[in-house]
This record gives sequence, structure tokens and C-alpha cells, in this order.
Amino acid sequence: MDISCVPIRIFRTEGFRVAAIFVAIFALSAAIMAIVTLAVVDQELRDQIVQFANADIGAIKDGYRTEGMGEAREVIHQRMAAPGASDFFLLQQGATEKVAGNLAPMPPKTGILTLPYPGDTAGRTILGVGAFVAPNLYAFSGSDLRTAQMARQRILRTLIWIFAGALALALLGGMIVSRSFLRRADEIATTCRAIMAGNLASRISVRGTEDELDRLSETINAMLDRIAALMTDLKQITNDIAHDMRTPVTHLRHRLERARDQSSSVEDYDHALETAIAASDDILALFNALLRIAQIEGGARRAAFTQLDLSGLLAQLGDVFEPVAEDARHYLSLSLSGPITISGDRELLTQAFSNLIENAIIHTPAGTIVTVSLQRRDDEIVATVSDDGLGVPPDEHQKLFQRFYRLEASRTRPGYGLGLALVAAIAELHGASVAVDPQAGRGFAISLRFPISPGAS
Amino acid sequence: MKILLIEDDPEIADHICHALRAHGHDVEEARNGPDGLSSARSGQHTALIVDRMLPGLDGLSLVRQLRAEGCQTPVLFLTTMSGIDDRVAGLNVGGDDYLAKPFALAELVARIHAITRRGEAGPPVTLRADGLEMDLIRRTVHRDSKLVDLQPQEFRLLEYMLRNVGRVVTRSMLLENVWDLHFDPRTNIVETHMSRLRAKMDRGYGHELIHTIRGNGYILRAD
Repeated sequence: MDISCVPIRIFRTEGFRVAAIFVAIFALSAAIMAIVTLAVVDQELRDQIVQFANADIGAIKDGYRTEGMGEAREVIHQRMAAPGASDFFLLQQGATEKVAGNLAPMPPKTGILTLPYPGDTAGRTILGVGAFVAPNLYAFSGSDLRTAQMARQRILRTLIWIFAGALALALLGGMIVSRSFLRRADEIATTCRAIMAGNLASRISVRGTEDELDRLSETINAMLDRIAALMTDLKQITNDIAHDMRTPVTHLRHRLERARDQSSSVEDYDHALETAIAASDDILALFNALLRIAQIEGGARRAAFTQLDLSGLLAQLGDVFEPVAEDARHYLSLSLSGPITISGDRELLTQAFSNLIENAIIHTPAGTIVTVSLQRRDDEIVATVSDDGLGVPPDEHQKLFQRFYRLEASRTRPGYGLGLALVAAIAELHGASVAVDPQAGRGFAISLRFPISPGAS
Repeated sequence: MKILLIEDDPEIADHICHALRAHGHDVEEARNGPDGLSSARSGQHTALIVDRMLPGLDGLSLVRQLRAEGCQTPVLFLTTMSGIDDRVAGLNVGGDDYLAKPFALAELVARIHAITRRGEAGPPVTLRADGLEMDLIRRTVHRDSKLVDLQPQEFRLLEYMLRNVGRVVTRSMLLENVWDLHFDPRTNIVETHMSRLRAKMDRGYGHELIHTIRGNGYILRAD
């Protein structure tokens, strides 16, 4: 991973984008909270000042009413000296005569007032309450708003610090999240590059967190497994073709060599040429069989499907092969129910079942009974070709359907081991499954199971 | 017979010409689609042999064009593809038979003979050869007036032999036309059925009608 480009790339990641959105939402809500808090605190402080002032005015009024001017003055002096009480007092007779207090006389306004700070200064103000204690006696009590303003500023400063800290944490979190996201994305990219470079066994590590990246990694790994399997298949087929072609071509060459070296008459040459032609036909037949399998696996034949009676098709094959089986001293028996219609390719199905019947005749000893049966079950149509011959070892069952696979016992017989591969390809084209039926005791059976399609009768 | 061969591969064309001329046929050649089409339009040929892949105009289009113009000359398609769909496509545009390369020249000759026979008169009700008589309506066969009891498959096999009397029919022609099998079987289907048929209608009648042509097929010879 190229570290130098990470900071730039981080901003482009989805993880960072999500983090940034969260930070923005957080900042907005924090700002709203700060504004509301400040307003509430401000109002609270103002209310408190006004409350103190009202209490002062009340006390001055009480003092004046009960004991006269002297007492009112006394109350003001006491309150001015007390800590935690209001800061400014004024008791004023008429429009201009100050009786007590620490403010200059002023025009007697009643209610909640805001006054400029005496002698100044830079916008400081006094908040207080003015009232008439008696018809000609005006009183004012108030406090410096600066205390409230300072409190507000302290709170604002604290909020800004909290805000900045949270913002930094959120950013850091976003970076960490997107860094880890990036690292994993890079891991995937690195693995893919390794695979491109030829290391097909390479896989993306899965953390087991089952998050989106894990699922993506698993999907990519599954895809790679599938591709690897196909590649192995292909490699296997190529090897098989190369290997299996060598044998017949070598035979052909040997025959021609022998004909050149040992033939002494026209008949000898004729015979040699005929066997050489037959051998080359075999090689071409092998190619044709491979091409046919490839073509069927390509699936193009599905366009040629028609509704056909599988039971009738098997009955016809029975008629074709019954004498063949008899000549080979086998018995061919059919167990078919009434017409069973499926959608399929008559030519290919004929070839598939011919293959199975011929296998059963060719690979079993004389006296074997070969049975072709067709049954309709609940959700499938089962066509089986079975025999009571020597059977096939169970561990070979799966391999039977591979191209070029030949049982040890049949290697000396002609053939290239493509028959069942072709059957498998034809079955797959028809959506049918093909498998060796487990046999109790003797014999061998292969079944094609066609799912019952809607519209089949 | 005058046969038009439309084939672009000179070596294959040479082989085919050689074989057909050896059978006494007159062969005209064309190396590409357009030339082949204009030659075929003269209408003077008994049969056409048309390669599927031709420069200028492919074989399928060529035959489709000829048929659209009303030309009924029998056509045998040749192809290098072993494609299973190709045969159907060839027959659909109006081809009469289809042969995949590589093929034995004897197979080609036999098939040319078979397709040129078609269209001679309408479908007969009775097929005859020497003392052999096949009634296609009653589905009966008599040899020297004696009834021969045949299975349906044997009947079809004999019918095909009778329809091609005097001509070689190959194993694959029989597989395709009698049993509708379009692949090379690994068991001797043809030999088995043929030997049963011959046992029933050919043994013990003085002289045999059906003869084996070694390496090629069979022929039903009538004097």
C-alpha cells in the first residue's frame, strides 16, 4: 500500500464521507444546544438581578412606611454593605435631590430599567428596578450586568472547547474507520492484482464480522473458486485430449510403418490402408464427440426442443437394440408405462439412451439382463437403464461422467470414455439430473431424472 | 449424370471430381457462391453438391435462393462442421441430404445416387425386384409368391433397400433413414437387423438379392 497517497484518498472513501456527515450533524446540534443554553442562562441571571432589586425596593418601602426616611436610608446603607446583594442603589426626592445611594440622581423611571454604568465605560450597563416608595420619593436598585455577561462568556468558552474536542474526536473516528475500510479495500485490490499476475490460489481474507466487506470478500472468493474449478476442468480436458489423441495417432503411425516395412502384396497394402483409414475415422469420431459435447454444453440446442413421448422413444430404441442384445447373448427388457411427454430434443435423447443401452450390452458378460424402465413419480420422470452384470465399484461412480474416464476393466475395449460425458451433457441440457443408482447386490444402473414441467401430460 | 460441384477447397473438390468421374458422371465445378449460383441457374444438372462455407455467398443462402426461383435440382450439402443443427438447417432450406467432412468418397457417391432417384414418378404402391414384391398399402412382402413375415423394422429396412435398388446404400444412410439415428453406434445395429432380414427374405431362394459391399454398405441387385 502506498502510504503517501492515503491522506488524499481517505477523503474520497465512503467511510470518511459518512464520518463527515455525522460530524456536521453533531456540530449543528451542538450549536443549537449552545445558543439555547446561553439564552436560558442569560435570562436566568437577569431574572435573578430583577428579583434582588424588587426585594430591595420592597425593603426600602417597608422601612419608609414603618419608620420614615431615616430607616429607608438605613436599609440602603445596610444593603450596599452586604455582600452578594445588589450593587447600585438610589433614593431620590423630587427630580434631582439624592437622599441615599451610590448613583447620581436621574429622571425617575419605573419598572425594569437598563442604565449606563456611571462614569463610563465600554458599554457596561446596569440592570435594575425603579419605583416610587412614596408619592415624591423614588427608589432604584440594580446590579452590574457584567457578572451575567462574564458567566455567559465562561459558559460559551466551555461549550466551544467541548465542541472542538468532540469535533476532533469525530474526525479522528472517521479517519480510523475509513483507514480500516481503505486497508481492506486495498487488501482486496492487492489480492486481485496477485491473481491477475497468475497466483490463482490467492484468496481475500475474511474477518468473520459478516459486514458488507466480508460478504463482498466471500462473494469474490466464491467466484474465484468457480473460475479456478473451470480452469482446472479446462486444463484437465486439454491434457486429456492431448493424451488420448496420442494413443490412436500412435497406433495409426505404427500400422502405416508396419505396412511400409512388411507388406509384400497388393492385398497387404489394401488391408493396411483400410485399417489406417479406419483408425483415422476413429480419431475424427473422437473429435466429433468432443465438439458435440461442447456444443451441447453450450446450450444452443435448447431452441430445437419439441414435445415428445419419451415412452415411445424408448420403445423404439428397444426395437432397435433388442436384436443387437440378443446377438450378444444378452436380454433386453422394457418396463415402460403409458405415454410420457417431455420437452426435449429427440435426436439427442435418442443418442443418450442409445449410449446407455450400448454400454450395458458392451460392458457386461453374456447372459446379462438389460432393463430400460420409465416411471412417472410425484415430481419427476425417471428413466433408468440397468443391468444385472458385475457392477462398477462405488468410488468410481462419480468419475464415470468425466470426459475420457474409463474403467480399468474396459481399457482394452475400443472407445474413448466420452459416452457418459455426452449423456451427462444431454441430461443437463434437459434440466435432468443423471446419476448412478445405488444397487443392492449385483448390477449397475444409471437414471435420468427429468423434473416434471408445467404443461407435461 | 451431370453434377455441379460448388466447393472452394481445391483438394477436396479434386477428390470428389475424381470419384464421381470414376463412376461415369460428368462434373462441372464452381469455386465460389456467386459462380455456383449462376451455373446452377442453367438448370442442366442432375444434382448439386454444395459446400456450406463458400466465399461470396454461403451454401445455405445459395440453395435458399435457388429454391425460391423454383429450381428443384436435388442438393447434397457438405460441411466441415459436425454441428448437429447444421443438418436440420440444411434440410430446412431445401437440401435433400447432408454430409459432414470428412466422409468416405463411397458415402458421397451413394448419397448422390440416392437423392437423384427421388422425384422419379410418384410414390409407388408396390415395390418390385426380381421375385420380391412389397405392398406398401397392405404392408406385406412376398418372395416368389410366398409370404415373408417381417417385423416393422425389417419391413422399413427392406423398403429402403427396394427404393434404392441397384445402388449402394451405406451404413450411415441406413441408420439415418431407417432408424433415424444420427450418430455412429458402437454396436452392430445395421449388421444385426440386416442379417435377420436376409435370413427371412433372401436365404433359400436360389439366388440372393442383397449383397454386402465390403467397407461400404449393401446393395439390392435385381436382374
